[in-house]
Amino acid sequence: MHGMEGPLTTAAARGRAALLAPFGRRARDDLLFCLAGVPLGLVVAGVVVWVMAVALAAVVLSPPSRPPSIWLGVAAAALDVLGLLLAVVLATRVARRLGVVHRRLAARLLGTAVAPPPPLARGRGRLRWVAAGLGDGPGWRAVAYQLLKLPLAFLEAYAVFWWAGGLANLTYPFWWGLFRNHPPGVTLGPVPALTPFPGRALQIATYPGTFLALAVGLGMVLAAPWVTRAVVAVDRWLLVALLGPGRLALRVRDLEHTRALAVDDAAAQLRRVERDLHDGAQIRLATLAMHLGLARESLAGLGEVAEVGRARELVDAAHRDAKQALGELRDLARGIHPPVLDNGLDDALATLAATSAIPVELACDLPERPAPAIETIAYYCAAELLANAAKHSRAGRITVRVDGRRGRLALEVGDDGVGGADPARGSGLAGLAQRVSTVDGRLRISSPQGGPTRVGVHLPLRT
Amino acid sequence: MRVVIAEDAAIFREGLVRLLEDRGHRVCAAVADGEALLAAVAAHRPDVAVVDIRMPPTHTDEGLRAALRLRADHPGTGVLVFSQYIETRYAARLLQGSAAGVGYLLKDRVADVAEFTEALARVAAGGTALDPEVVGQLLGAGRHARGLAALTAREREVLSLMAEGRSNAGIADVLVISAGVVEKHVASIFAKLGLPPAEGDNRRVLAVLRYLEA
Repeated sequence: MHGMEGPLTTAAARGRAALLAPFGRRARDDLLFCLAGVPLGLVVAGVVVWVMAVALAAVVLSPPSRPPSIWLGVAAAALDVLGLLLAVVLATRVARRLGVVHRRLAARLLGTAVAPPPPLARGRGRLRWVAAGLGDGPGWRAVAYQLLKLPLAFLEAYAVFWWAGGLANLTYPFWWGLFRNHPPGVTLGPVPALTPFPGRALQIATYPGTFLALAVGLGMVLAAPWVTRAVVAVDRWLLVALLGPGRLALRVRDLEHTRALAVDDAAAQLRRVERDLHDGAQIRLATLAMHLGLARESLAGLGEVAEVGRARELVDAAHRDAKQALGELRDLARGIHPPVLDNGLDDALATLAATSAIPVELACDLPERPAPAIETIAYYCAAELLANAAKHSRAGRITVRVDGRRGRLALEVGDDGVGGADPARGSGLAGLAQRVSTVDGRLRISSPQGGPTRVGVHLPLRT
Repeated sequence: MRVVIAEDAAIFREGLVRLLEDRGHRVCAAVADGEALLAAVAAHRPDVAVVDIRMPPTHTDEGLRAALRLRADHPGTGVLVFSQYIETRYAARLLQGSAAGVGYLLKDRVADVAEFTEALARVAAGGTALDPEVVGQLLGAGRHARGLAALTAREREVLSLMAEGRSNAGIADVLVISAGVVEKHVASIFAKLGLPPAEGDNRRVLAVLRYLEA
């Protein structure tokens, strides 16, 4: 039965897995990772030694017993400080570079993909460059990893030793006869064999003794994958924690991603609602109005009979209502999502400009189409700004400019009116600013009393 | 009239077929997308095609593009474009080059059956039928505020109806005035706007549209 043989088979499977572990791909990759870790740790050791040497330079150059000259001392101290400063300033950048190598190794050998941290803020000018390096949080985390890598490299070297030592021990019985074929009576010193405890070598003096070395070697080789795995696990944990983007940055990235999805989804849903209205209610109503129109004409042909007159009035009223409902529904649907937007912002703005009460001069330069959600936001901004201008500005003409070059969408609506537009006075501008900020856009308003008014909306091309 | 209809909503399409056949017109084909429309027009050579703008597959402006193809390939067939919305750019594209045998109407207009069939007949005969909304957009664009301000309220009404593509008799019917009075208004409008007098409804529409678009 399944339940009875279950535990036995799992135990057997586990045993087999343990025995086969040294020959597995994972053991090989872990070993390679440890092997690569040793020189990388040494690099850090070199840097640390250099920094310490610089720190000690003053002491060495000017022994306290015989101060040769005060100037040499000052020069040494200055060199000392300069070197240290240089080390500190460069630390985050160097650590980031090394972090790239570590992340690549982890991805290739451990299958652990660690996302890179947010890039270093770019600053123009030397001072900014230095400040960016010093204030680089992820950079300092990378420095911490490099420093911790120093003891880790020792552990990794030790893990490699389990493999190397174990494999060496396995060879003893095979070469013993070749080298120890001395004539009887000659006493030779014992040959040391390796154990997991360096410095505690096993002394092998006889051929049967070599089998003890073989046994120890076997044990070491069988255990080696687990030793490497343990060391690698610690390294991996530190790597993820210190060389990744950090929890806050990850959270920000997550939130940005989900927000973009939400914004796109909202836009897509509005389109769907509009299309449903278009294909459903609007068509039904148009057909209804058409049929009522036909009924009206039929009744008109019947001449003057009392009953018919009554019916005619009713159908007339129904006909009017249906037409009015159609108009209202159209405005509603268009308010939800103007379908012409599917054809591009350019066409949609053209209709908007044509229906404005104040003459609008429209210029649109969009080499590539923005994301649908961005087009929608830009469209509603333009609509709101045009409506605002019509209501408050007393302007004679309005200019609408759209510029999609330089990877951003810049919408500028200006008029030659009286100015004084103020987002604090609830003119819909505050709502616009909110809408724009959902995609990290910016709204800039310049509207002094007496005019003119210029409103700039800057949006990314993608959400 | 011999008519081809392209409209993807079956209920509206069938309503249109019935309306037109009730009035003694012949519907040669009623199809649901732009490709089928082009094929049907090529096969039947109708007097006029009624074309919905939004049709499968993308539901954006297939109908408009098909209409433009028809205008180029079959100048003898009038094209009445039909839509839930009026878009300025679509109107401009349709009217590019010539206003002969073109219409652009809101779907609502079909509710006024007589007016609709009259507009369709106009387009079939090589005339023009523009929705009052199109004309409203053109007049409202405000580029010619000064010129238009010189017109009387009545003259503006006449100008709008003229831009819709109506004949003098048609304008007279709508405004319930005599054709002679309409003629006088038209002459006055052309003089005030500085337009050369144009003979024929078509040339007249074009002159008015050019003025409004320029």
